[in-house]
Amino acid sequence: MVAVQANKAHRQERIALAFLMLCAGIFVLAIAMILGFLGYNGTLLFWHDHVSPIEFLFGTDWDGFGGKFGAAPFIAGSLVATAFAILVGGPLGVAIGLFFSELAPKRVANAFKPAIEVLVGIPSIVYGWIGLTLLVPLIGRTFHADGSGLLAAGIVLSIMILPTVISLSEDALKVVPNALREGSAALGATRWETMSRVLIPAASSGLAVAVILGIARAIGETLAVQMVLGNAAVIPNGLLSAASALTSEIVMDMGDAPEGSAFRHALFSMALLLLLIAMGLIVLIRLALRKRT
Amino acid sequence: MARAMVVAPPAQAPGFTSQRARARRITDKLATAVLWTAASTVVALLLLFIGYLFVQGWSAISWHFLTANPESANAGGGIGPEIFNSFYVLILTLLFTLPIAVLAGVYLQEYAGIGRFRDIVEFSAESLATVPSIVMGLFGLIVFVSLFHWHFSAIGGALTLTLLNLPALMRVTQEALAGVPATYREASMGLGATKWQTVLRAILPSAIGPLTTGVVLVSGRIFGETAALIFTAGASVSYGASAYDFNPFHTAETLAVHLYSTQREALVPDATQIANGSALVLLVMVLVFNVTARVVGSQLTKRFTGKAS
Repeated sequence: MVAVQANKAHRQERIALAFLMLCAGIFVLAIAMILGFLGYNGTLLFWHDHVSPIEFLFGTDWDGFGGKFGAAPFIAGSLVATAFAILVGGPLGVAIGLFFSELAPKRVANAFKPAIEVLVGIPSIVYGWIGLTLLVPLIGRTFHADGSGLLAAGIVLSIMILPTVISLSEDALKVVPNALREGSAALGATRWETMSRVLIPAASSGLAVAVILGIARAIGETLAVQMVLGNAAVIPNGLLSAASALTSEIVMDMGDAPEGSAFRHALFSMALLLLLIAMGLIVLIRLALRKRT
Repeated sequence: MARAMVVAPPAQAPGFTSQRARARRITDKLATAVLWTAASTVVALLLLFIGYLFVQGWSAISWHFLTANPESANAGGGIGPEIFNSFYVLILTLLFTLPIAVLAGVYLQEYAGIGRFRDIVEFSAESLATVPSIVMGLFGLIVFVSLFHWHFSAIGGALTLTLLNLPALMRVTQEALAGVPATYREASMGLGATKWQTVLRAILPSAIGPLTTGVVLVSGRIFGETAALIFTAGASVSYGASAYDFNPFHTAETLAVHLYSTQREALVPDATQIANGSALVLLVMVLVFNVTARVVGSQLTKRFTGKAS
């Protein structure tokens, strides 16, 4: 009797394990399928429509229906907007991470933390709407310009990546052993000296990960960017100039590009490029973390 | 959380110029002020956003607006079907995502030792988590819309969102399980339970609080997702038997997508007002999801573990 039960439990255990591994395997299958399908559809432009990858990456003429597929303006737009976001949002996010980890009294942290969580939850389309109706007119009035452009996109992205950078850098700082803080203080360092010369270096790989994930969030952001960027397929010549990004161009053109056309294939190529950038950032994170151990 | 930190008075020992000590103290004060300002600014920004959306959107909100069908050319359209579709796509997404993500999280946290399969799964999850949502949307377009000939459909949108949110929910599960004390596992297995019985009857119930909190927070993000849905669930609503169409193979424009299509291409004269109202409803839903996550999570923790969280 007992043996029968034990047998049954044993069988249950093996079935459960197989099922759990299957679920974990779905993750592997999912990313493999995404790479496969986008890898295939994203390269059709090159071997089916015979557009050279050089023209795609460096060409500046874009006319989907006219057979011109130079995506350089969008690549430039994505890179500049992301760089702006990381230059503003990166240090600001790390600073606020420091605040939560080292300075904030418990009551202040309890009051501020939910605010950060709400910021994560606000949909990107709502950020875009606030950007379009509040920020763009403000920039327009301040600089006597059109308002939409790289500056607006950069500011919106800076705010959108903040929660990611804040919470990850806070986590990275919190795992620094207390002995380092005490040791630094015992040597007579002020609180800021401890933060800037001991904690930030000690947490550097974690902080790098926070910033890299911020980059990933910024470069893949679509609607908030599309709504404030001005959507001009030109190489930007200043922060106030209207531009277009890889993501925003995909969302603008996808509805018009007929199935099976080179136009649509070019948009898939842009998606593949974004996917490769995202995967590259993941590899970068792995490298940053490996250095630590 | 603040960590008690020993603040040493700047050294005043002989040999140190007191001027230098003063400079260090001032730098410290300045840095402290900067960090406080930075954190306060972000909170102030959030309050500004909330206030702005309420001021702009409040006048658009009415029972009619929240329940009526959208108009294609006239003023006075509502967002009823869009709100329904947002919930419908969310529920479909959770139906697919939850079992897979929770079981995969259980596997990684409780079963998988250190090994090659674990590494591959974790790398896949991390990669999946960074795929931009518009890229995921195009994958959904290629597979569900074109290859499967489902056209724009609620189920195609939900499956796309499933891929997008699997990693986040797996992470939520792992963190919830990591919070369960090892003694629970030891006690359960010491009583003769198998590992699977331990997971089902001891570990998952005591992790239910944080797990629920995480699931509700991710739900809030699914509710507002846009880029992945435009080309999978579509940017128009279908009117089946009624405005509330349960057929998962019909197009299902969600509220977030509606805000996008309204500001981009709507012909209705009151497009701005509709967009303002939609943005406010989306914000309120985010707030509701956040509050629910906290309240329900701590209630469940109390009920299942007897602890206040």
